[in-house]
Amino acid sequence: MAPISLKKAGKQYGNLEIIRELDLDIADGEFVVIVGPSGCGKSTLLRMIAGLEETTSGQILIDGRDVTAASPVERKLAMVFQSYALYPHMTVRRNMGFGLTLAKLPAERIREKVEAAAETLKLTHLLERYPKELSGGQRQRVAIGRAIVREPVGFLFDEPLSNLDAALRVDMRLEIARLHRTLGATMIYVTHDQVEAMTLADRIVVMKEGRIMQQGTPQALYETPANLFVAQFIGSPKMNLLPCLPGAGGLDLSGEGSIQLPLSGRAAPAHLGARPEHLSLVSPDSGHCRGTIEVSEYLGGTTSVFVRAGKLGLINVSAPADTPYRLGETVGIHIDVARSSLFDDAGKAIAASR
Amino acid sequence: MTTLRWLVFGIAAFAMNFPILVTLSTSFKSARELSTNPGLWVQAPTLDNYLAVFQVTDRLNIFLYLFNSLSVALIGTVLAVALALPAAYAIARGRLGERTLLPFIVNLRAVPLIIFAIPLYMMFQWLALLDTRLGLGLILSIVNLPLALVILVNAIRDLPGELDEAALMDGASRTQILFRVIAPVCRPAIVTSLIFGFITAWNEFLFGLMLTTSKAVPITVGASFFFAASGGGVQWGVASAVMVVGALPPVLLGLIMYRQISGSMTAGAVKG
Amino acid sequence: MMTGGGLSAAGHVDIRHGHATWAPGAANPAGLAMFKTCQMQIGSMTKAQQRPLVQEFRLLATPVVVFLLVFLGFPAIVNLIYSVSEVSFETLRQPELSGFKNFAAVWSDGAFWQASWFSFRFGLLTAVLECALGLFLAIFLSPLIERRSWLMAILMLPLMVAPALVGLMYRLVLHEFVGPVPYYLWTYFGASLSFLGPGSAFWTLVVVETLQWTPFALLLFYMAYQAIPSEIAEASAMDGARSHHRLWYIELPLMLPTIVVALLIRFIDGFRVFDNVYVLTGSGPGGSTASLSIYIYEAFFKQGAIGKAVAASVILFVVSFAVLYGLNFIASRRKGANR
Repeated sequence: MAPISLKKAGKQYGNLEIIRELDLDIADGEFVVIVGPSGCGKSTLLRMIAGLEETTSGQILIDGRDVTAASPVERKLAMVFQSYALYPHMTVRRNMGFGLTLAKLPAERIREKVEAAAETLKLTHLLERYPKELSGGQRQRVAIGRAIVREPVGFLFDEPLSNLDAALRVDMRLEIARLHRTLGATMIYVTHDQVEAMTLADRIVVMKEGRIMQQGTPQALYETPANLFVAQFIGSPKMNLLPCLPGAGGLDLSGEGSIQLPLSGRAAPAHLGARPEHLSLVSPDSGHCRGTIEVSEYLGGTTSVFVRAGKLGLINVSAPADTPYRLGETVGIHIDVARSSLFDDAGKAIAASR
Repeated sequence: MTTLRWLVFGIAAFAMNFPILVTLSTSFKSARELSTNPGLWVQAPTLDNYLAVFQVTDRLNIFLYLFNSLSVALIGTVLAVALALPAAYAIARGRLGERTLLPFIVNLRAVPLIIFAIPLYMMFQWLALLDTRLGLGLILSIVNLPLALVILVNAIRDLPGELDEAALMDGASRTQILFRVIAPVCRPAIVTSLIFGFITAWNEFLFGLMLTTSKAVPITVGASFFFAASGGGVQWGVASAVMVVGALPPVLLGLIMYRQISGSMTAGAVKG
Repeated sequence: MMTGGGLSAAGHVDIRHGHATWAPGAANPAGLAMFKTCQMQIGSMTKAQQRPLVQEFRLLATPVVVFLLVFLGFPAIVNLIYSVSEVSFETLRQPELSGFKNFAAVWSDGAFWQASWFSFRFGLLTAVLECALGLFLAIFLSPLIERRSWLMAILMLPLMVAPALVGLMYRLVLHEFVGPVPYYLWTYFGASLSFLGPGSAFWTLVVVETLQWTPFALLLFYMAYQAIPSEIAEASAMDGARSHHRLWYIELPLMLPTIVVALLIRFIDGFRVFDNVYVLTGSGPGGSTASLSIYIYEAFFKQGAIGKAVAASVILFVVSFAVLYGLNFIASRRKGANR
């Protein structure tokens, strides 16, 4: 196991910057999830770490060693691909042992290692099958098994669950989490699904357009997003953004209401970010602002109530499911100010003095 | 309407296969029947012509021609695939020569090959490759190269790139990937190019005519010897038997594997 | 796009998979960018990491390049030298430079122009006939073939037989005493034709070539026809299109790329024809059926006019490659425009 560091690592195709010089330190045994919308460069970054893509500037260090120019195998990392990329002409056993065969390990050792890995992943009964005879989830496990067998210093996952159906995805997510606990290996996991990121990560790295927007624990990202992008990307349902201005004694919610909040002379807030679960419906006279119910979506545990609040737009409030909501009813909205975020004109978070 | 379709099919199949049917029927006719009955129907079928064909004489040796055809077709096919496979991999994955080598070789398919035949004849004279199976096989591999390359490049491009990358992560070199991953996975495409190449090479005539005289004569050229053979005019029955025998290997191969072949016809579109 | 085999490949892969597999120009922008970086790396090869990768790819492509240089590059050079030399079988190794006399000789040789005209006319006629017939059969017979693929095997049979052998077979078929065709004509019409005589030999050859290679066009068109998604037919049926409307407004336009490709391939093969014509008529009667390939062959082997044969080869070489690369260029331009 080993720490992995990127030092001003960047990638350019001609004039096109895919990855802008970025720094990232991944500790030994850490589970880092890189998340972002498609085209943000997260897969490229992973492939740069793997050695499958050239790093055109900066350095990549594994265990303190500069591997920027090293071939994939010299980096001693293993990768699980989105399409699994199992060798279709080999049995599960040979798929898992291929790397070891290439490394010219004795057949006996290969057999031991493959069978041990198969045991961990409950693949023992499938060892003599071919990939085409396996289900999606089984193929996924073989791909992981192939990675484990080589005892790499770190694991790379490139959207490994996106080809599975929803139910299986949850199972595999748990399995990967379990694997990380038992192996204690450094893992870098790329996904566009923020739920996977939240559930799996020790640390989440949010990327956009080849840059890191924020990194931190799932909780830190959820509670104190550094900018509008992260605020909107992390958390489901999405955070509400209420346009606002500095007002008398606090915030003016675009004339639809106000919040008493000491603003200590820093950048002027332009948006108040409030998650649906931090809003509550109150009587029209109380609360920070008011509006009329436009849509309500019953979700079982809660109900998403969409309230039209004048210039503030449509506000999503996560409300208890046991109360009936009438469309067109005027309601007040109470904002849990302490758990909200403020953003300036440029979308950067303003550290609130609460 | 269906009846009409069947009628059209019958006429088309009959017309297009007519020379084959005539040759087949003639090959079973005795010399006497031939002079009285030029029609399609055989009155008294006989195998005499086939027996005569397999009689080896100083001037006519069908076994030699068949063996030559087999040898040159095998050389020309295996060599073409052996050359095309690594190149196809470099083109498809290394993106090497995608705009130079690939179009050049593909264009070879369309160039009248006679333009290379004369200097090749001289070159073979110097290299003592004239009238050798190796020499003819080498040239036939050039004839087979374009199609083999097109089929293999397409096949490799159809494979997900992650397969190569997984092997790279497993520590394989590009050469190892080619032979241990790509080649086994592309086996259907390789088999198709082999079959197609074999049929093409077996049926080749121009280079056989120019580059061989006696020892390495292939069956396509050797068959024409039977037309001028005997002093008393062409023995049509025997000549027909020769053509049936000479056409049989590619036809059988084609019929057995015609699904693969129809696929590569559309992939590479080369004369059979 | 490529010509000949390549063209067909492109056309068909397009139809079947709905994406182009050939030109890098057809790749997505990211792919294009990747391609450029690859080019860049091949050009400069500054990064240590990429060097072994590119070198290994080069190594893999080397055998075929060497092979082509030896067996085509060297002959091409010999061709060029001999085409401007005075040379005979006796002086093969000591060619004397003689300027463009060989080219002048070819240029002023009526037989050369006659052969060119034959090749062009033969290629054009057979291509059009084969494609027209093949298209009709592919569409008309597809309800039968869909359910019984062995029917296609029967129709494809002529493609498996060597053209040279087919040519020889027609010697038998058309023979005035033992050939069934003259026999049946005499029996039922009381008259026959001189199939290989002056006047009719050309048309006989056209029929022979067309009958052997129509299955090729048929096969291509059948595959293209089958590749048309059935939803399109169903959608047009919902729109109230009759079957002949569907054919004219939907199916034929969708098959057009294939038709163009098939015409081109068949023209090229007809243009460079040698085998069946050579065994059936030689070049006769009176040189009237000499194709360019036969012209060059006879100049070399029968007349020993090496210089003339080689000069004609060079002319054919230059014209073919110019036309082929021109077609490639046009095709890739059109590909770019469609994107």
